[in-house]
Formats: sequence, structure tokens, C-alpha cells
Amino acid sequence: MQTDQSDIGDSLIDQSVEGDNVRKQAPLWSRLLRSPSVIIGGLLLVFIVSLVPSAKLLTSLDPTEINPRNRNKPPGAEMVMKNDSGERYTLTSRMGTDKLGRDVFTRVVYGARVSLIVGLSVAIISVAVGLFIGLIAGYFRLADAVIMRVMDGLMAIPAILLAIALVSLSGASLFTVIVAIVIPEIPRVVRLVRSIVLSIREEPYVEAAISVGTPTAKILYRHVLPNTIAPLIVHGTFICGSAILLEAILSFLGVGVPPEIPTWGNIMAQGRDLFQIHPHNIFYPGIFLTLTVLAINMLGDGLRDTIDPRVSREF
Amino acid sequence: MATETQGPELSEPILTVENLTLALPKNADRRFAVNDVTFTVLPGEVVCLVGESGSGKSVIAFAIMGLLAKALTVESGTINLSGENLLQCDEKRLRTLRCTRMGMIFQEPMTALNPVMTCGEQIDEVLLEHTELGAGERTKKVLSMIAEVSLPEPERMYRSYPHQLSGGQRQRIMIAMALILEPDLLIADEPTTALDVTTQAQILHLIKELQSVRNTGVLFITHDFGVVAELADKVAVLKQGELVEMDKTNRVLSDPQHPYTRMLITSVPKHEPPVKEPIASDAPVILKTEGMNKRYVSRTFTFGKTEVAAASDISIEIRKGETLGIVGESGSGKSTVARCITRLIDVSKGKILLTGTDIAQAPQRDLHSMRRKVQIIFQDPYRSLNPRRTVGQSIVEGPMNYGKSRQEALKDAKELMNLVQLSPDVLDRYPHQFSGGQRQRICIARALAMEPDLLVADEAVSALDVSVQKQVLELLAQVRDRMQLAMLFITHDLRVAAQVCDTVAVMSEGVVVELASAKELFSNPKHEYTKALFKAAPGRDFKFAEFTT
Repeated sequence: MQTDQSDIGDSLIDQSVEGDNVRKQAPLWSRLLRSPSVIIGGLLLVFIVSLVPSAKLLTSLDPTEINPRNRNKPPGAEMVMKNDSGERYTLTSRMGTDKLGRDVFTRVVYGARVSLIVGLSVAIISVAVGLFIGLIAGYFRLADAVIMRVMDGLMAIPAILLAIALVSLSGASLFTVIVAIVIPEIPRVVRLVRSIVLSIREEPYVEAAISVGTPTAKILYRHVLPNTIAPLIVHGTFICGSAILLEAILSFLGVGVPPEIPTWGNIMAQGRDLFQIHPHNIFYPGIFLTLTVLAINMLGDGLRDTIDPRVSREF
Repeated sequence: MATETQGPELSEPILTVENLTLALPKNADRRFAVNDVTFTVLPGEVVCLVGESGSGKSVIAFAIMGLLAKALTVESGTINLSGENLLQCDEKRLRTLRCTRMGMIFQEPMTALNPVMTCGEQIDEVLLEHTELGAGERTKKVLSMIAEVSLPEPERMYRSYPHQLSGGQRQRIMIAMALILEPDLLIADEPTTALDVTTQAQILHLIKELQSVRNTGVLFITHDFGVVAELADKVAVLKQGELVEMDKTNRVLSDPQHPYTRMLITSVPKHEPPVKEPIASDAPVILKTEGMNKRYVSRTFTFGKTEVAAASDISIEIRKGETLGIVGESGSGKSTVARCITRLIDVSKGKILLTGTDIAQAPQRDLHSMRRKVQIIFQDPYRSLNPRRTVGQSIVEGPMNYGKSRQEALKDAKELMNLVQLSPDVLDRYPHQFSGGQRQRICIARALAMEPDLLVADEAVSALDVSVQKQVLELLAQVRDRMQLAMLFITHDLRVAAQVCDTVAVMSEGVVVELASAKELFSNPKHEYTKALFKAAPGRDFKFAEFTT
């Protein structure tokens, strides 16, 4: 650049950049707060998440403690407990007890933790892995053919079957359940990311970046990746919701989290045989499960409409 | 050329738009989409609504058809179609009026037809809705209408699906559909903008012919003064929703009263190349291609392969400070050439010598040093800047790839903003805050930041309004002369090519059919195709910007 070029055209400096040409758009958070489904879903979710750290305050009981004397109490019944020094006292059971005398309310509150851990970690892991694979599949033609065939294969494996196989190989644990849900979820994320990358790759601004010599890795990171974030946040919330449901289903079927860990699915599974006489065993965890998934899906819906109207018809 | 018709003055107008004011939603950039517009269309008359983008010309058409977007509201005024106020009609009445009394043709023949119905069925639908004719009579009428819009083999056209037809043929089908019930008024909303110039000439001719035979009033919306000169009896010039001038075509074009009209007409590039200093014959050759080829090969899983030659045997040469124009219609391979030279796509065969080095077959990793010498500006200013990065970030990206520090690159970027006549203070803004012309200037600044030897402009001014186009062309010429750039200028617009290019190559079906200096090519075209192109250019007989007063 020679310096003598800076002086030409000064008189012509465009004024219309100021004022009227500037399209004003309210900041993201204030647009989010205008969406009713974001507010309702968000508040419900905050309530359920707040159960996790406050579990000890809400109940003094141990969710795994078996107490045969208090078997199958209906909600609101008195439980007779013994403290450390052997004195007896009574407590009201808010949601009744199960067939082993464990307090359902305590178990539901502690169960929230497992459900949220499963939902969140499945969402984060599958989005992160799927994003990486999807970027590569979408941008490099050669990799695309190979990766997408593998993904098609993965999509053909039912999560439940995979979970049964994994549990029989390595034993039931929280980790196994997460892996079993993540694997079939990844191809869906890959497909979404790939389809976005395929269209962004043809944008002139990506070609402009190539022609100013930007390395491929930087193009992916700077120009392509940001376009995938909004739809992925939205998709992530749906994954989170479905993972929580799937964990409950797996635990209910007995191939998920080990039965001694309280999860909503486990509580329901253990109440299954006495369902007709004591429906509260299934009823209460079922309500919490429904509310959580509803809250997450509402939040996802609201996010989608607010931050990414472009993909709102894709799901 | 506009022809004087003697009849219209005596008859009643078909369409009278009086004091029409349409309000925009509250937070729009101005209050009214259309403000206090009054005009009439007489039978057998062609009235052109001319204006730049955002002038409200299409909105008027939609208001007449009763297809106004929900966000817009009619503030005041009347629209009378043969004495009936359309603004007071209910939806049912409007539906009856459409096609029977007024027909419309849209800009995009691609999207205006339903892809899953045959063309014949779509025209037939109009008759089915509005007439009592039996199936046999309808088919007969559709076939005769298809013949009337000069489509070959009407039976085959009747059975064809839209994707089997070319853009011009689809537009003919649209015209057939709009005119089959012989409406009094035909509204044409930029019907030829998406078409090639030779096709455009045919469609304009067809509209003119049908209109004079049937004595239809035509409201023709366009941004192109060439088309106006070709077609219109009367012109109405719109600026920001206001009607600034309206009169007989000849008067407006040769003696515009309003300064805005005057400015628009002087912005239309002239058909004759200006007198320029010839490029010194000893100026170094920046780009030379020898027999460059690009073939697309598609292999199917089961049956062999098909080959398409997008560009064959391209041999061109550009010297320092010279502008080579490549002119051609869509599908002629002109963009393929640009993308081969910038190595955005791989070349199949031949040589591309960039300051003496062959880059045609250079592997990706060797291209890094070549990239900075060749820069490209794209057509669509709305998509060529990353919407999530500030203008400054976009401009400094290139220089920083080649080792400049951020401060240094930013300092240069500020100077470049001055050079492209934008304020250096706006570097931290995002692209959506700029207009199309401003964005194109930013793209030029981004290309210049690399200090290239060769600048490729791929339809760089095609998406811009004429007045903005003129400014950007001037800027490009100024930059080229100042920095002694070699420029490859790709365009479909002969007028633009005439103004900027020293040498012009005419391409058709992947081959350069004629290569000559601009002066020679425009005064004495040799190849048949070049001659046909020139003949088709709308309004070429009209001397723009030669006003009587």
C-alpha cells in the first residue's frame, strides 16, 4: 500500500452508513425473554435442576436405605423411623414408599441427578463428536462418502439392543448407559452438521477466504463452524430430552443403570409388579420425567424459533 | 422504440391508480412503501414503472393484483380497473378478476410454475376455474394459446413439465397463462430480468406483439432503461415510493425534467466504448492461458460416464493495466473461466501462466503463494461477506494469512476504506449494516488488501442498481489505473463491458467465439453470435444521456 492513496475520495466518503441503513435488532437475550416457551420451559427446568444440589435439604433420608417395616405405604402415611441412638420417631412420607420400604420422594429427588447427568452428558458428547465428524464429512468430498456410510450403519443399530449388548459385555453402569445412548445419536448430529456445511461451503465468502489464502482448518473454524452453532444448540436440547427418556426406558427394562442407584426409570421398574395396588411408585417419577422432558423440549422449541428460524422446519 | 399510437388518448383508461399510499410497518426505514402515486393505463398502451430496488414498483403491482403482503396497509387512494375499485373488492371478487380482467407475469419463471404439473395442465387450470368450457374445448384453446406465444410443438409443450423447458420457454408459458382469458390489463413484474439478452429480446417482442393485437394495456415493471426505450409508450419514474416524473417515453428519455430521472439515465452505460489510451505493447503480461480446458465428468455407478465441456481451449492474455472482458450468456462458461484462473476449481487441461509461472496443475499446497497475486470479486454482495465477522476482520484476514501483524493490516485496511470511498471508522461494523453497493466496495477493499497483480470481477456489478453500478465501475477503473492492475471482467451486460474493457472476449457454449479490442468489437462485430448479441441488446438504438436541453 502506498500512502498517497489514502487521500483520494475523501469527499465522497459515504454518509449513509450512519443511521437509516443500520438494521436494528434487539439483543438475543431480550428476544429470548419474549418467547413464552423459553420462559415456561426455562423456569420448569430451573426448578428441576435446583432439586439436585438441594436434595440433602429436602429430605433427611437415604434413598437406598431399606426399611421393611415401612413397606408399601401410600402417600401421606406415617413412617416409623429409628435414629442412630435407637429412639423411634415418625415422619410423613410425601409420596409413599416402595415394596422395600424406601421413601419414593427421596428417591425421586436423588433420581433427578442421574437423569440430568445422562441428558446433559449425552447432549454434549454427541454434539461435540457429531460436529467434528460432520465438519469433515461436509467439507471434504472424499471423507464424505466413507463417513456417511459408517454413519448409516450406526443409525441402523437400535439403542436398546446396543445397551443390552454393552451391559452384557461390561456390566451395568451409568457410563455404559451414556455410551449406549450417545452412539446412535451421533449420526443424527453428523447429518445435520453435514447438510449445513454443504450449503455454507458454496457461499462466496468461503470462496473469498480460499482466495485470500486462508488455511482450510481456519476456514472451517472461522467461516463454517459459526453457522452450525445455532442449529446445534437447538438440536442439543432435543437430544437432551430424548436421552433422559431413553435412560428411563433402559432402566425400566433392566438394562440401564444398576437397580441400587435411584433413577426415575429404576423407581418405575421396581414399582412395576405392584402397579395396580400402589400406583404412586410409578406415578410420581413419571410426572417428574414428563415435566423434565417437556421443559427441555419447550426450551428447545423457543430457542429454535428465536435464534434459528432458518431450520425451524427441519425437525 | 416507442411508437406513437393514435387511438389511446380517446378511450377510457383501463387502470387508474389515484393517490395511492401504502404504509410500511412501524419500524421500517421509511413510513410509506408508496406515497401518493397517481397514473393511468389506457387500452393498448404500455406503461413502464421504472425505479431502483426499493422504489416500491413491485409493491404497486401487488396492490393492483390484491396480493399485497400482510405487513403493508393501504393508507389512502383508489385503484380502478375499468371503473371498479379494486381496493374495495372482497377476496372472491378479486379471484374472479384475476386472469379474466388482469393477468400477471412474474420475474422468476423457475418458481412461478408448479414443478409437479405439466405446463398444459397449469394453463388449463385457469380455464377450469374461470370458464364453463368442456375438457375438449379447453385443451383446444390451451393448444392454440401455446401456439400463439410462438412455442414450437404445442402438443409436446402441453405435456412438458416446467423443468424440461428453458427459462424463455417457461416465461412464454407464463404469458400464455396470463393472456388466455384476454384480460384488459397485463402486469409484468420484471419478466425479462432473469433471462439472457437474446431471450429477453424475443420475450419483449412477443409481449409487444400480443399486446398490440389484443389491445391490452400493459403495466411493465423494470429497472432497465434499455427495456423502457424498447417497449414503453409512457414511463413513470419512481424514487423511494414517490412518482417523480411521468410522461411519454421519448420525452422522458431525451429531456428528463427531474434531476433523479436525469441521474438514472446518465448512469446507463453507453453502448460505444469510450476513447482510451491503448495499453503499451511492451507492458508485462500478467496472465496468459494456453488451451485451458475444464470438463465435468460424472460417472454413474452402473453406466459409463458423461462428459460436459464447460470451457474448451481458452487462450487469453492480459497485460498490466489492461482489462479483458468476457461476455456471454448464462451457461456460456464465463464464470468457469474465472474460477479456473483463480484455481477455485481444478483445471482439466492446458496452461495458466501467471506472471510466467504455470499454475494450472499446481497442487493445493503450492497455491498459497499464487493466491495473493489473484483476487476475485463475486456477484452477490449479500453473500460474499461472512455475516458473522466485522468488515475489518474480513479485510485483514488475507494480509494476516501472509504474515502481516494485525496492527499493520488494520492500518492498511483504513487506507483502503478511504480508497473505496467508505469511512475508515466503520471497520468494526457487520456486513448487514451496509447497502449492496457499499458491500461491493468492501469486497473490492478486501481484494486490494492482498495487493494482487490480477483482479477478477465475476459479474461484480450485475446485482447493483444502475446508479450504484456506475459508481462501482468508476471505482474499479480508478483502482485499476492507480495500482496498474490487470483485470479480468466477467459480465453478461454488453453496455458495461463497453465501458470498462480494453479487450473483449465473447463466449458461447464454452468457447471463445470472438476476441478483439473493445473498439473494434463494438463497431464491427465479426462472428454471427456476437452480432446476434448486439442485435438483442434492448434500447441499443437509443442514445442515452444525450439530452435535448
